[in-house]
Amino acid sequence: MFQFDTLSLVFVALIVLGAVPNLFYSSGYLPHIERKAHYQLHYFTFILSMLGVVVSANALAFLLFWELMSLTSWQLILTEAKEKKTIDAAKFYFIMTHFGFVFLLLFFLIVTDGDLETGFASMHGIAAKFTYPTLLFFFMLLGFLSKAGAVPLHVWLPYAHPEAPSPVSALMSGVMLKVAIYGMFRFLFDVLYPWPLEWGIVILVIGSLSSLIGVLYALSEHDIKALLANHSIENIGIILIGFGMGMIFDSMHLKVLSSFAFIAALFHTFNHMSFKSLLFMGAGSVLHQTHTKNIEKYGGLIKAMPVTALTFLIASVSISALPPSNGFLSEWMIFQSMLGSSHLDDTSLKLAIPFAIFALAMTGGLAIACFVKAYGITFLGLHRSTNAKHAHEVNFLMRTGMLLMTAVVLSLMLFTPFYIGWFDEVLKGLGHLSVYAKIFPDTVWNMHSVAVHGGVVSPLVLLGALLGVTALLMFAYKALKVKERIHHTWGCGYRTSAKTQYTATGFAGPIRRFFNWLYKPEEHLCKETLAGHESKFSSSHYEVHVKPLFEASLYDSVGKAANVLSYWVYRLSHFEQTRYAAMIFNLVLTVLFSYRIFAHEFSWATFVLEGVVMIISIKVLIIGDKK
Amino acid sequence: MIFYLFTILILLLLAPLLLSFIKALKMYLLFKKPVSVFQGYRNFSKLMQKETVISEESSRITRVAPFLVLSPLLVTMFFLPPVVHGAFYVSFVDAFTLTGLISLSTFFLMLLGLDSASAFGGMGSSREAFIAALVEPAMVLTVFSVSMMAGDLGVGQAGVNLAMHFPKAHMASFLFAGISFFILLIAENGRIPVDNPETHLELTMVHEAMILDLTGVYLAIIETAASVKFVIFASLFASLFMPFGLQYAAPAAMLLFVLKLFIIAAAVALIEVNTAKLRLFKVPNLLGIAIVFAFLSLITFYVLGA
Repeated sequence: MFQFDTLSLVFVALIVLGAVPNLFYSSGYLPHIERKAHYQLHYFTFILSMLGVVVSANALAFLLFWELMSLTSWQLILTEAKEKKTIDAAKFYFIMTHFGFVFLLLFFLIVTDGDLETGFASMHGIAAKFTYPTLLFFFMLLGFLSKAGAVPLHVWLPYAHPEAPSPVSALMSGVMLKVAIYGMFRFLFDVLYPWPLEWGIVILVIGSLSSLIGVLYALSEHDIKALLANHSIENIGIILIGFGMGMIFDSMHLKVLSSFAFIAALFHTFNHMSFKSLLFMGAGSVLHQTHTKNIEKYGGLIKAMPVTALTFLIASVSISALPPSNGFLSEWMIFQSMLGSSHLDDTSLKLAIPFAIFALAMTGGLAIACFVKAYGITFLGLHRSTNAKHAHEVNFLMRTGMLLMTAVVLSLMLFTPFYIGWFDEVLKGLGHLSVYAKIFPDTVWNMHSVAVHGGVVSPLVLLGALLGVTALLMFAYKALKVKERIHHTWGCGYRTSAKTQYTATGFAGPIRRFFNWLYKPEEHLCKETLAGHESKFSSSHYEVHVKPLFEASLYDSVGKAANVLSYWVYRLSHFEQTRYAAMIFNLVLTVLFSYRIFAHEFSWATFVLEGVVMIISIKVLIIGDKK
Repeated sequence: MIFYLFTILILLLLAPLLLSFIKALKMYLLFKKPVSVFQGYRNFSKLMQKETVISEESSRITRVAPFLVLSPLLVTMFFLPPVVHGAFYVSFVDAFTLTGLISLSTFFLMLLGLDSASAFGGMGSSREAFIAALVEPAMVLTVFSVSMMAGDLGVGQAGVNLAMHFPKAHMASFLFAGISFFILLIAENGRIPVDNPETHLELTMVHEAMILDLTGVYLAIIETAASVKFVIFASLFASLFMPFGLQYAAPAAMLLFVLKLFIIAAAVALIEVNTAKLRLFKVPNLLGIAIVFAFLSLITFYVLGA
């Protein structure tokens, strides 16, 4: 029922690292929750069920814990269900997660031959006999990516994560999404190996799209928790880029590069867990003090909340992939593995991968912009609302939670070789090559890329150099004994106030305008002009709202199509019993035909014949003659 | 080792001189009486003696950020390719780390802009974020392309390799990468046509807007950072895209290198005189050209092998 191989243990470590600081934070947050028993019960079950998912050894246990994880997190979103928004978000999450669950169930029913108690080990044989392995791949992909939040199944994240209580958002975004990544590692390696080249390309494309789309919508977001949720989409994208590169290299028989790329993906999984949990905790503390999620109502919080501000800064630097942070190291590894694409034999693939490099680099640049916005508007400048003015530092337990998570972030930066050693063991356990000796050939100070002519980075030397130079400069400044005067910021003769500052909307303005074709924002501008002058006005109000493209196109149009189709069927039937009967007959026919195709054999001749039979029977029995 | 330290010292000393040189050349070409090329040092010493005015609205970030803007750039100085044959160079740092360090410096500069609660700071930060986000992909792709021609991703090693075995077979992709990198040099250093370093008109400024609330030593630090950044990019361009002269005797090689830096500065000045500043929303077109050239460079390398 349970297994404890290296992959499981590494993910147990991930969950423990993510959950322990969260426990402190959660107990600090508890006084603010009304339904305490409900919250506590689901919170602990949620953590235990995640642990259960990663250690279960057969399909039944896996699905049981997976479902328990989904249901408890769904209930946790509903902890503070006061607004309709929350209930809608929870409903959306419930539907999306079960959409994925259906595909997982299908996947397991096929690879276990109907006996769900089959262990993972014996699935490989059954899957190898199945005629359409790509179908299995897509079932698995839909199942796990709907949970991980990759394009196009990412739409629920920016709704569900902000509505949950902050410790839960941190757990959901930081840890639960990673459990889906665990699923991908487990079943792609144990069950569906070896992979055709196309699978890797599919994952690479999904990853590149997710990373770009995630960061672009994060930029246009004003709800700080939704912003972070969009960044989760981005980071899952980055993980998938590493994963996809690993699969591509493996199917092109470049085993060393493949292991390197998978290690990069695992490393980024850990890093994202650490800094995203920390960011959600920081956002939660800010929300706790200001009682609003709107980033435009913050400002100047660094003065009132120094600990939160410091930890949030460290996490921001890390998520923006700036050296020498851990986020930089994993993104560096993913870049290096992509540069390894010059070893591929396939010219078209070689030419395609620079586009993924472009996507990843663009993501990095936009992430920096986004976190300057998130940090600058939240913590710097003047307070933009009275709530922000009266904010003060959060309680001891919450601070402890944040500081512990900072320690996790820093440990991932300082003890990179140690963690990479773990990931290397995982890859070895999954039957891949060990590359630890190639990443750290002589000492643990320098990290080498395994690609020929690859790069080298030495995180600790960089960190030391940066700290040393900064300290030296600050010491020199102190030694100069410069005279300092405090004065107001110059505001062109006007008084500097909260209203003279840039807003988050304004900050993201140039980028929003450049990507106007994607955002298609709804803008509302109303101003009261003075005496008919266009340019003189006493008050003005500007609001911009961006509805995600995927939601507007894919989801809404699917809804519309379902409506149209059901109306058509409704009109056809005309409440006539014969028509109903004919429909049921056709449905049975479809099921029989598709069962034959799936379970037995496929030949174009019978396929065409069946198609013709279906069309005739629909035409004759259901549609009938035009009256 | 001695050449290594000496080069860093020379580059640090040259940094303010190069920017003043650009300014003087521009003024000369516009029939103005040129400023002295030593104006940079004069400004520096003047600012060092002034008292610092710190904004009441600002936070601890204002007191820390200037140092964090300068220090990644100073660290980068130690990782540049050698200018003299056989000189020591740091082999373990690759181009990604360098671009990362430069981004780190920009990150804190943008935070600095937002810290003083002034509209100008936010405006500058917002624009800088926009430009920096578009520079990043072009930079990474150019680096990728150059690393393949040089046969190493490490900056120091790449410089040496290019100088020793110039990739004659890959002249086309080398040229494309060079064009792309030059555009990035202009964009990252905020020169015309991307940003006008001399303007104090709020509609056009990017870099100046972010540092509007700084004076005294802090301003001196930021100005130094700007000049150091220019010298970093110029010397990267000189080592990677003008890779000759490394084999001469030490003084000659050093002189040649300094000459190359001045040639790059002159090229920047000529572009500044001959073009108008682009509107902010036209800047992506220019950076798009850089991205396209970087892609072209990769494609020619892969497909034509040229």
